[in-house]
Amino acid sequence: MWEFIVRSLDASTIFTIAALSELLGQRSGVLNVGVEGVMLFGATIGFMVAQTTGSYLLGFLAGIAIGGLIGLLHGFFSITLGSDQVVNGMGIWILGFGLTTYIGYPYTGPLGMERIPNVIGLSPFFFIGVALIIIAWFVLTKTSLGLRIRSVGENPSVAEVSGINVTRTRYLSVITSGMLMGFAGAIYSLDYNPVWSNDFLMGWGFIALALVFFSMWNPYILLGGSILFGTLWQLSLNPQLVLPDLMSRYIWRTVPFTITVGALMLMSTEWFRARWGAAKPEALGQPYIKD
Amino acid sequence: MKLGSFEVKLEKRVSLPGWEATLISLLAILVALVVFSYIFVRAGVDPLTGYKEIFSYAFMSSFGLPLTINRFIFLLLCTYAFIIPIRAGLWNIGMAGQLYAGALSAFAVAFAFGAKTSQNAVLPPGLVIPLMIAAAILGGAVVGAIAGFLKGRFNTNEIVVTMMLNFITYWIVARLIKEGGLFMGASGEGDGFKIPESIYAPLVKNVPFTVFIALGLAMLLYFLFAKTKIGYQIKAYGKSPSAAKYAGISPYKIPLLVFIMGGLIAGLAGYHYFAAVPGVYKITKNYGDFGDLAFYGIICGLISQGDALAAIPIALLFGGLTNGGRFAQGKLKLGFGIDYALLGVLMITLVAFQFFYRYKIVVVRTKKETSDVGIHS
Repeated sequence: MWEFIVRSLDASTIFTIAALSELLGQRSGVLNVGVEGVMLFGATIGFMVAQTTGSYLLGFLAGIAIGGLIGLLHGFFSITLGSDQVVNGMGIWILGFGLTTYIGYPYTGPLGMERIPNVIGLSPFFFIGVALIIIAWFVLTKTSLGLRIRSVGENPSVAEVSGINVTRTRYLSVITSGMLMGFAGAIYSLDYNPVWSNDFLMGWGFIALALVFFSMWNPYILLGGSILFGTLWQLSLNPQLVLPDLMSRYIWRTVPFTITVGALMLMSTEWFRARWGAAKPEALGQPYIKD
Repeated sequence: MKLGSFEVKLEKRVSLPGWEATLISLLAILVALVVFSYIFVRAGVDPLTGYKEIFSYAFMSSFGLPLTINRFIFLLLCTYAFIIPIRAGLWNIGMAGQLYAGALSAFAVAFAFGAKTSQNAVLPPGLVIPLMIAAAILGGAVVGAIAGFLKGRFNTNEIVVTMMLNFITYWIVARLIKEGGLFMGASGEGDGFKIPESIYAPLVKNVPFTVFIALGLAMLLYFLFAKTKIGYQIKAYGKSPSAAKYAGISPYKIPLLVFIMGGLIAGLAGYHYFAAVPGVYKITKNYGDFGDLAFYGIICGLISQGDALAAIPIALLFGGLTNGGRFAQGKLKLGFGIDYALLGVLMITLVAFQFFYRYKIVVVRTKKETSDVGIHS
């Protein structure tokens, strides 16, 4: 049971960091539906670099760097060119999915490095994830940078008039967001499950995207949601640890996705909106073009 | 940007003439293919030789051409499953899930007629085949309807929902064809059961008859969008759901309708690949690869700008490229997954090119003498 809890928290960490990165981008008004694609890039490049150099540090740095680059690309399409953010995000997802399948294929198999040591039984990344949540909350709500990020996500024209550089703030958010997504992917392939096979994420990034909607753009609710879904995901992988012989293991795999659909539906109802009032950034998904 | 006495400017388009849209699309494909040729260079193969291998296998060889046509039918159906919702501004990325559901439903009919128990069963094709097709349509439509209903009723994000449904149906297929599942095949290698020869889909010159369904749909959709009220309503909803509401168009009905239509066509794609393509006739253990291939439908749909007829040559091209790519990857030792790599490169090139659907590059001659006088500001 303890092992199950530990694995669940490890899984939660990946959801936490991936979803937090998306939240950060969305707070600045930029939607990236391609979280899964950026994570695939971070995971694959991180895995390749770590295996080639034998250094975890270089692997993580490479994962973060490629994530930042893809974030920059998304920023260029969405901020500078002002193209449809959904199309751009889909493009990034399919690019990640297609290209990593090809470039990672020769690396199929286990990483073959000594595992990253635990900290009091838990993956060190769990603590990093929690710290990132606290930092994000602090930056977003208590600092002037956070105010700038939120205001370009709510009303870019007003922000611009009050002297905030919308383009620069959005780029900053989107690149940081990409770096964190790449980091989340690298945690998956270097720590959580250090084996490369093609399209191994199977929905982590899309659930992370849904988690942002569930969180109502609040980092703490996001942390709670991530722990819930991390546990659920782990349960779907190893149901025998908790509930043996209840359902086929394949049907267990559908559970996190079914619950995501259910929760998303609940959150979209009039009742829920009236009761909780989701704090969706006003300008989310809209390009800002200076006149 | 100034170049000598010329100035290059970006200008926002007021309208996009059809021929220019076609030109941009063709240019995007061309650029993607040029970028993609890096993969040949990396493997030490001359890109022209590489493309020649791909195209001659895909379109000229007697082995490759039928496979290309089968892929073409599949991709065209997936494209239509994407196009109808995108006309309404909605993203159906759930073709994979819908086609799995279609295939499962079709095989459920075959199963009900005892196709699993006897490989040599003689079943009435005139009855079973239409029922299998009807079931495939229904299965795909039901999965599509879930996303459409949630969008229409609760405004639930359709991208997340359709993607979740892909994973859900993916695992349901695994449940049914593997480890003692109801549709497990006799070989025990992870494939589903094979249907008896008596209910193989009819072939016309070695091509499954589903090609006529796909081409018929092309005409039908063209007509639907160009001439009918419902086509107009879908388009109006796509332009602005709230404005459409004032024009008396139900904001609930349109999402549900487009996703049902998309889903049923994807269901047909499932029938086509698993029950009509020669040599398959079962839900194969690598069914996930066909789910992945379905994402080409997004690319064909985006390149053809939602035009049902324009999608035909594009689906044929990509059917050939993916099929020939698989062949060239073995022959020229390019490494696994070049069809996946092409998918990624094409998609991101298209994303970059969508800018040109909105802006055009204008070259103006700067007239020095007049501007010196100061008449023009």
